Amino acid sequence: MTGAPRIQFEQVWKKFARGELHDSLRDLVPAAVRRLAGRGPAQDELSGEEFWAVRDVSFEVRPGEALGILGPNGAGKSTILKLLTRILVPTRGRCAITGRAGALIEVAAGFHPDLTGRENVFLQGAILGMKRSEIKTRFDEIVSFAEIEAFIDTPVKRYSNGMNARLGFAIAAHISPDVLVIDEVLSVGDLRFQQKAFDRIQEMCTSGIPVVLVSHQLERIASLCTHALLLERGRIAKRGTPTECIEAYLESSRNSESAASHTSALTFDALSLESELPVRSGERAQFRLSGDVGPGSDAASRDFSLRVRALSTGRLVFSASASDCGASLPARGPFEMDVELQFNVAPGVYSLELAVWDAETRRDIVAGPGVTVQVEAGALTFSGTSHLLPRARVVTASSTAAGGSR
Amino acid sequence: MSDLVLTRDLPAPRRHSLWSDLREIAVDELWKYRELLYELTLRDVRIRYKQAVMGFAWAILMPALIVAAGTLVRFAMAYMGGGHVARDVIAGMAVKALPWAFFVGAIGFATSSLTGNLPLVSKIYFPREVLPLSATFAQSFDSTIGAITVGIALPLLGIHYGLAVLWAPLLAALIFCVTAGAALFLGCANLFFRDVKYIVQVMLTFGIFFTPVFFEPRMFGPLGARLMMLNPLAPLLEGLRLSVVEGHNLLQPLVIMGKKGAVVAWSPWYLAYGAAWAVLGLVVSMLVFHRTEGKFAEYV
Repeated sequence: MTGAPRIQFEQVWKKFARGELHDSLRDLVPAAVRRLAGRGPAQDELSGEEFWAVRDVSFEVRPGEALGILGPNGAGKSTILKLLTRILVPTRGRCAITGRAGALIEVAAGFHPDLTGRENVFLQGAILGMKRSEIKTRFDEIVSFAEIEAFIDTPVKRYSNGMNARLGFAIAAHISPDVLVIDEVLSVGDLRFQQKAFDRIQEMCTSGIPVVLVSHQLERIASLCTHALLLERGRIAKRGTPTECIEAYLESSRNSESAASHTSALTFDALSLESELPVRSGERAQFRLSGDVGPGSDAASRDFSLRVRALSTGRLVFSASASDCGASLPARGPFEMDVELQFNVAPGVYSLELAVWDAETRRDIVAGPGVTVQVEAGALTFSGTSHLLPRARVVTASSTAAGGSR
Repeated sequence: MSDLVLTRDLPAPRRHSLWSDLREIAVDELWKYRELLYELTLRDVRIRYKQAVMGFAWAILMPALIVAAGTLVRFAMAYMGGGHVARDVIAGMAVKALPWAFFVGAIGFATSSLTGNLPLVSKIYFPREVLPLSATFAQSFDSTIGAITVGIALPLLGIHYGLAVLWAPLLAALIFCVTAGAALFLGCANLFFRDVKYIVQVMLTFGIFFTPVFFEPRMFGPLGARLMMLNPLAPLLEGLRLSVVEGHNLLQPLVIMGKKGAVVAWSPWYLAYGAAWAVLGLVVSMLVFHRTEGKFAEYV
């Protein structure tokens, strides 16, 4: 896009050790003797307890871009953030940030319980690299954002958790960084403040500075990021648009869920969206799926469920079996099926998934492919998660118009 | 393992040179983060005086106790020797108790400054040097109050300040450097090896017997005096006493004739020795700190 990259990650490797490190002098002496004797491990090799937390990861972020990083727990997301913010140093490779990095990570870490809110604002601001004069000019803004005007001269130890987190977020959100790094901090305070925090983040993201965002809330990545990376066990498994990466992420987590694959008569080959993207809220979308029914199937084992999941929360929005939808598969052989769904849901990112469910073990035994659907605001005007097809009429009215209105 | 396929064109690790490292510490870290150093020092001072009954008396409590203990020791020695405790002996102890209390306080706080701020060290980047250094600065705030008190009290004990008192600021600066160096080194060591703090506690408790606070090195005879002066703090403390209390110019040697021969109570070389420790100790500690800093977040 525009300008030189402000965040550069070049072939970065990071090694960690499992288990206990030497942490007393008593343990050090034997280890030091071994190293002097020339039997210590070289830097690039892995000794028994070591592993690569990040392997050969490269990316760049330019002004105007926002990179989302997703992946399962332990994939190396937090390690990358720590490398970016210079808390960790790479074993191999180079990572560089041009300018001041603002990090929305663990936002109240520098607070001292005995100091007042006011004193802590200056302390935390300095820790984040702000000048005293800078904090002074933004002080009122920070305090009113955190909504703790009345308690600003109270020691922080008397604050509630929510107040603490709000103040911490407000400080971090008021540094004007050249580069922004965000780790899931969006769950700050109550619902209303979360929305406020999210709006603030969105504002910062769209101000043109380069952003790196790590989140499990896929919707955040879908709505805030211009690019995305999918990490798996320290490596980049996919890079592309947020939607592509989210899809790949869901795919891989579905596959790992059904790792204990039972044999089933039914297999799925492909699932695709036939309508054009994006789907508008309240509109119908067409899907085409194909699969194969193997030998020895009965009516029950040929049934499967269709599910729609909201990616932001991971919750099921809708689930129904194919037979409930009026489709029954042939007893044997390949098949193709058209599915039509009306997305009476709020705008957001959803996925349609297929699975064969075993009633006895109460688990999925076959997970089919999934497809991501972006739903945008459309004809239906409502807020909430689902449109409940409301119908309302007035049953009592003034005497002149007896019978009510339709 | 196949994980080990490292390509050849990886960017080479950055080369360290002594000079570039020192410049990095001074310019990129300490100067850029001077406001943080100030805020953290302010934090430590505020916490110490918040909700404290003693208030500023706290700053002189420790040196006062050291002087009281020293007076007791010297009284016993004088009693056995059939003399009495001169006022300038008490004055000399007061002058040396202050920097010793500073050293003990600063090292005590600095050793656990990194491990005591774990959430910070593992979550947010800033040059970690500021943690042990702010502990040292916070302690020098106390010591400044103590120094003003002692400065007012000495004339009451009959001490007249001569020109030699001008050595005091230089010696104070050197003592600060020795302390800051030790603070950085021990803070960093304690992060990697948690038993360092216990060793430090023991050293600080018994250190007063190996440092000339209660006594003067010359009391140990010609060889004993030299051995005592090997302690990096000894020449600095003794120099402070000689210049402030005895009005001795530190560029002149001082030889005292005792029963068992001449004892070198002072030599300009002692000053050079103390200064060398202060400067080299600080530089080496900074380098050690700087080069291990990248591992802090992994070890905590």
